[in-house]
Amino acid sequence: MTAALPRLHAVTDDRVAALPDLVRKATAMASVAGADLAVHLRTRILGGRAFLERARAIGAALHPYGAWLVINDRADVARAVGAQAVVTGRGGLLPPDVKHVAPQAMVGRSVHDAAECRAEAGADFLIAGPVYPTASHPDTPPAGLDIVRTAAATGRPVIAIGGLTADRASEVLAAGAHGVAAIRALWDAVDPAAAAAAFLDRLPALDLMDIEINGEPRHARRGITIAELLGDLSLDPRTVVVEHNRHIVRRDALGTVRVADGDRFELVHFVGGG
Amino acid sequence: MTTTLAPAFTDTPLEIGGRVFRSRLLVGTGKYKDNATMVRALEASGAEVVTVAVRRVNLNRTKEEGILHHLDPSRFFLLANTAGCFNAEDAMRYARLAREAGFNEFVKLEVIGDQQTLLPDTAGLLEATRELVRDGFKVMAYTNEDLITALRLQDAGAVAVMPLASPIGSGMGLVNPYHIRVIKSRLSVPVIVDAGVGTASDACLTMEQGVDGILMNTALAEAKDPVAMAHAMRLATEAGRAAFLAGRMPRREIAVPSSPTTGMLA
Repeated sequence: MTAALPRLHAVTDDRVAALPDLVRKATAMASVAGADLAVHLRTRILGGRAFLERARAIGAALHPYGAWLVINDRADVARAVGAQAVVTGRGGLLPPDVKHVAPQAMVGRSVHDAAECRAEAGADFLIAGPVYPTASHPDTPPAGLDIVRTAAATGRPVIAIGGLTADRASEVLAAGAHGVAAIRALWDAVDPAAAAAAFLDRLPALDLMDIEINGEPRHARRGITIAELLGDLSLDPRTVVVEHNRHIVRRDALGTVRVADGDRFELVHFVGGG
Repeated sequence: MTTTLAPAFTDTPLEIGGRVFRSRLLVGTGKYKDNATMVRALEASGAEVVTVAVRRVNLNRTKEEGILHHLDPSRFFLLANTAGCFNAEDAMRYARLAREAGFNEFVKLEVIGDQQTLLPDTAGLLEATRELVRDGFKVMAYTNEDLITALRLQDAGAVAVMPLASPIGSGMGLVNPYHIRVIKSRLSVPVIVDAGVGTASDACLTMEQGVDGILMNTALAEAKDPVAMAHAMRLATEAGRAAFLAGRMPRREIAVPSSPTTGMLA
């Protein structure tokens, strides 16, 4: 799933997470960015239930566009709403703990220096920053492009954060970032959809195919095999049977048959029955 | 046949499509309130054959819903069903998907004809049986208690014919013992009564008709205590089978004294 990690990450903080028109803005961005958008819900002021309700509302708005919902810290909330990823940072849950609670989710980890990059072995992707001076952390000196390079050297996809604007996107990509994250540049824009579009213009499009799985529209990385698709969906090929465009795929062929644009899959397994 | 006491009778094992089973009780795995209860009930039932259904994986799952995470396929013989299929084509599609799961070539074939009664569409059932048998499947066909359909299913190559005691999940018990006896007397393949039993006496009465086995799900899953009911059904299935083999006394409409009529005091 790592290559399908969205490129544009609209991150919230306490103030943004409480915006009354948060869902409207998220929907506007998703309508232009689709599966290339991830909205991160990050707040320390909402209690469990309010957090869950907010997450559910955003998730429902993003789902039709294939955009991701990412939950910060609260693996329990991520599990309850079926979020695509959980991001934790210093002092937060470790990746194995998150995967135990929310097995469906990818785990992202915030990293701020080389030591943190080395320590994050269990994460699926890294959020590295602050790259540039940022109003979110006025007292923290920016880590510069070095933090992007250091994080990218771990081999995991890196999302650059901290003072990012559309104009700076190509710079962080050149340093090895997979994508960019922003708070103000997106949420405080008069037209969030236009702001998202401006970012996307500077980001190479994800090479995704449109497919259908179990009747739902989905994206798949171009060129992958069915075995890789199952891996992206965190499914165990030993317990799933695959029907590919109405043809059953033998288990020993899953690693050789490739997914193509417009393919239709039925993925079935055994459940209780009489 | 597994008994809790030393068996006082000898029985041949149940053989279906070349596979031999000790238990004549077959059970489903649906509708249990949780998987732990289901597993304990299966163990208490002594069943070797357990049925499972084929359904879409939930892509937005938050927990593992597949039954193989709870059921050890090396301990039980997994019999996939085609429940929920309303035509031969769908049933064949489900059967082929189930076979690809890689456990065996058996299928409990259901082609349902009516949403309310879940009674079988016998034309579709025969069509799917012929096609699947041609494709190498061992078909155990869920049908109604109609002799002609049962004979046609046997002719079509079914390895077992499974007439209902009463509609699926109804718990009405054996409503037509006569037709079940007729079917059993005319078929050479095993006759497994499938669906409709509600409690232990239903299972016992069914087995007393001489059928080869019985398959149930709801009677266990919806019992207040599924594990205790599974135990009761195991005993009832064994009791009914033993009574059938023992051969019941003739029915009479007059009393016959059990104690000697001679030696009475004057």
